[in-house]
Amino acid sequence: MGTIKQRLEEHLITKEPYYLASGNEMEIALSAYKNKLPLLLKGPTGCGKTRFMQYLAWKLQRPLITVSCHDDLSTSDLVGRYLIRSGEAVWTDGPLTLAVRAGAICYLDEIVEARKDTTVVIHPLADDRRELPVEKLGELLSAPQEFMISVSYNPGYQSVLKDLKPSTRQRFVAISFDYPEPERETEIVIREGGVDTELAYSLVKLAGMTRSLKDSGLAEGASTRLLIQTGQLVQDGIDIHAACRAALLEPLSDDPEMLAALQEMVSSIF
Amino acid sequence: MKLAKLTERFYALVAPDIPNEWDVEEVLEPFIDESDHICEAALSHIPMIWPVSNSLCFDFLRLLPETLKQLSLEQIPRWISITLDHYETNGLRSAQRFMTDDIPNYLAQLGGSGGLSFDSIEKKLLPYIRGIARKDLQICYSRQIYTDTTSIYLPEKLSFFSESSDNFLYYKLILTFQWGFIHCGIFTVEPQLSENQVPSEFLQLRHYLNGFDNPALARDIYHVLESLRVRIFLEQEFPGLLRASAKQIFPCLKQANSNHPLAGIQHAVIADKKDILTTLSHLLTEKEAEPYIYGKATANNSVALTARLHKILEPHHTNYLPFERFSFQGHFRLNAVAAARTAAKQKLGEQLIDLMTSHLLSLSREKLLEIYKKDEKKNMAEGTAESDVTMIMDSELVRTADQEKAAPLLVTINNQEITLPQELADFSKKFFDEFGQTPARFLSAAVGKAGQKMLETASPEPPEESFTVNRDVIVYDEWDYRRQGFRKNWCSLHCKELSPVHSSFIKNTLEKYHGLSLRLRHQFEMLRSQERFVRRQREGDDIDFDSLVESLSDSHAGIPPSDRLFIRLKRDSRDIAVLFLVDMSNSTAGWVNNALKESLVLMAEAMEVLGDRYGIYGFSGMRRSRCEFFHIKHLTEPFGAAVRQRIGSIAPGEYTRMGPAIRHSIEILKDIDAKVRLLITLSDGKPEDYDAYKGEYAIEDTRHALLEARIADIHPFCITIDHHAKEYMKHMHGPANYIFIDDVRKLPLRMPEIYRTLTC
Repeated sequence: MGTIKQRLEEHLITKEPYYLASGNEMEIALSAYKNKLPLLLKGPTGCGKTRFMQYLAWKLQRPLITVSCHDDLSTSDLVGRYLIRSGEAVWTDGPLTLAVRAGAICYLDEIVEARKDTTVVIHPLADDRRELPVEKLGELLSAPQEFMISVSYNPGYQSVLKDLKPSTRQRFVAISFDYPEPERETEIVIREGGVDTELAYSLVKLAGMTRSLKDSGLAEGASTRLLIQTGQLVQDGIDIHAACRAALLEPLSDDPEMLAALQEMVSSIF
Repeated sequence: MKLAKLTERFYALVAPDIPNEWDVEEVLEPFIDESDHICEAALSHIPMIWPVSNSLCFDFLRLLPETLKQLSLEQIPRWISITLDHYETNGLRSAQRFMTDDIPNYLAQLGGSGGLSFDSIEKKLLPYIRGIARKDLQICYSRQIYTDTTSIYLPEKLSFFSESSDNFLYYKLILTFQWGFIHCGIFTVEPQLSENQVPSEFLQLRHYLNGFDNPALARDIYHVLESLRVRIFLEQEFPGLLRASAKQIFPCLKQANSNHPLAGIQHAVIADKKDILTTLSHLLTEKEAEPYIYGKATANNSVALTARLHKILEPHHTNYLPFERFSFQGHFRLNAVAAARTAAKQKLGEQLIDLMTSHLLSLSREKLLEIYKKDEKKNMAEGTAESDVTMIMDSELVRTADQEKAAPLLVTINNQEITLPQELADFSKKFFDEFGQTPARFLSAAVGKAGQKMLETASPEPPEESFTVNRDVIVYDEWDYRRQGFRKNWCSLHCKELSPVHSSFIKNTLEKYHGLSLRLRHQFEMLRSQERFVRRQREGDDIDFDSLVESLSDSHAGIPPSDRLFIRLKRDSRDIAVLFLVDMSNSTAGWVNNALKESLVLMAEAMEVLGDRYGIYGFSGMRRSRCEFFHIKHLTEPFGAAVRQRIGSIAPGEYTRMGPAIRHSIEILKDIDAKVRLLITLSDGKPEDYDAYKGEYAIEDTRHALLEARIADIHPFCITIDHHAKEYMKHMHGPANYIFIDDVRKLPLRMPEIYRTLTC
């Protein structure tokens, strides 16, 4: 029990994370929590989904256990497995089981990256049963009131292979995220990137321009996260042009012509 | 070479033409003194120029001796080639002008410093300006620089500076400055008109400026003040660009007429910010100048100042000569702006007419009879003149706080109230927001058009009425959204073969896109199979350590251990079947059809490498009785000569009734055993047929057919080149299930890329 407590403490967020709400997402999430409903966060990359979860966990004072999904994620990786310690077989809870036992929030980030047979394991947890069968232990864990499961994905990916099964998606309360309004985004970049208002405003303006090129050569525009990272490089003394190139433009495209066009925007703005 | 020999050689080269001997001798005479080498070189170019233009050929011979003093013989072929380009694009005069006047420029070009063509930098600057403008601004070539708010007109080539980099910067400044005019709203200001002025339909500003005693002076005052405002705005928003321009461009710009009364303000447009106040002090008071300097001025400031300055300057300039602007400011063409707005209004209006006609035709007969006041024929035919359409927009209704976002639209036609569907309501709202008036006139036209169509369809027309179900055709239901049910056995689909055509189309396409084709093959090869280590296998290349530990642990814990202890490298074979459904409607005629075919050729070549099963089918037809479905390639058919020829024979047909074609594609894909089944539709527009299959009805049927596909575990995806696609595509396909390609020429490049993204 001591280990579980110790493990959980690592996941408890003690310092208030910075999150600037852009609508009623917090009320919806709190209501979902109160009603024991699972949460689905949709939105483009780097728009604040994970930060929102951190803030929610802090607000609810529950540990946040995050699993970054990938296509090699197995059910055992989520539920748990036996391990040998000092010649003895010791059961080790996976993140999902740990969260259920401790009434924590389990956040499966980019759930579409996991194989569909793996994600099925969350089905009984995500409906009114709120149970997790642990086959190897022969246990059926019932989630306490405090437990919450939350998943996220980016609906902008147009791959047919990366989609949520309707049976999975129809269990969730869904909140859609998008990039914040320019004023809010500027505020976020000032706060997180540590830059002054003028630079933050210009970075947000640049991001807006790249976003308007979505589907005209760019798969996605610059995310708030990229703006913050650019700001951080500038704060560290990197020249603004070099910082934009490294932290904002290069992550967006490999196409030399598109990069040249984006570079022209940078040289106009800064 | 002797003249006789030269003449004889000339006649032999231009045979069977027999030009006037006197002309021939005149142009060949100067060559008598030239070396044989030069004569041979001159004669060798005649077969190339003569068939294009006889006059140009004579000019070439006449000018060659003089040209050879500046150009070497090796430079002549390229010089001729550019001359012929000029001839073909701009005619004989332009070619002659190039030959006589442009040699220094041509030499500068050869030296790499002869100006910069926009073509060569378009790929950089087009996304740049569209990103900044956040809309699809068009770029057009023109000798004059200006904007009409939908396009920016600029010269095809710039040679203001000797360095290409400076010319590039100047192009960038022009584009950004012209966009600045649009963004700052210099054309949309609405000045107070005097009593005797009739307000313009769109451009109140034009009427206002024309109302001055000296309109040219008033226009110049307004334009130069607004240029100053835009410059300050750009300095705030794009300091990098203005800094670079101040360093490289502005010092080289000379003011042509420094004695002009507006020269002070004009100079302020490029002056250092600290000097602006001094520069303006001749004409403006400090209080007037300050809003401009601190970026607080609006177009209304310029309107007010125009009136004041005109009053001061006009009496002294009865013979007013317009002054020359810096070229990046461009010309102030309010007429072009008005024309662009009229065109935009007309276009939006026509879309409204189409939508409203479809909507009216989808109403019940009783309702229609009410609208056409029972005297059916007369009123239907004279619908335009007779119908009385009134429309009340939301802003005219009293709003309460919670109604802020709602758009209640009240439309009455001949006192009959009509509820508009959402798309039509949105369009009307857009029209109202854009042009400040209700589109009642266009809706009235739609009433007439719908009436006429009803008369047409009411008249006996054999194919529709005598339609019987043929044994050889397949019959499909059609979704009627109004009754939320299917019209049973409504459409008959005729499956046809496209007859193969022998043409060089495939060969030419593969040659044209040779580089791209090779790159695609390589990219698709990489996709072919994904290798990954699979854990927990009964046999494999290596021990899966995690499983082993787990198994031992299980064994210790008294649980039967697993025997899946190996790791194996697994090649995931792609189990994908895809059906390409090609729109072969009449609207694809021309470029679109060509681009569709080129895309299919490139896709098919790449798909062969990938190994995914794919079929290609086309669809067209007219009315529900004759929906046509063309076979181009079955899913299991090899990509052979016959398929290539069938792709080559894809040609525009009739209408776009999408529902039956999608339903038939579902039937084909249903029988295919694949992990992922994809239906990719390539279309250039909305679903539409000759009969009432239009507007909301057609969209809803297509939407339902796509839903049926999803139910059958088929993933539909649409690639469209419709410019208005965004309005309805999201509703029809759902977000992330379609892609819009703005330039049809990009289709062959984009399609394989889209397929790759879809399936990786």
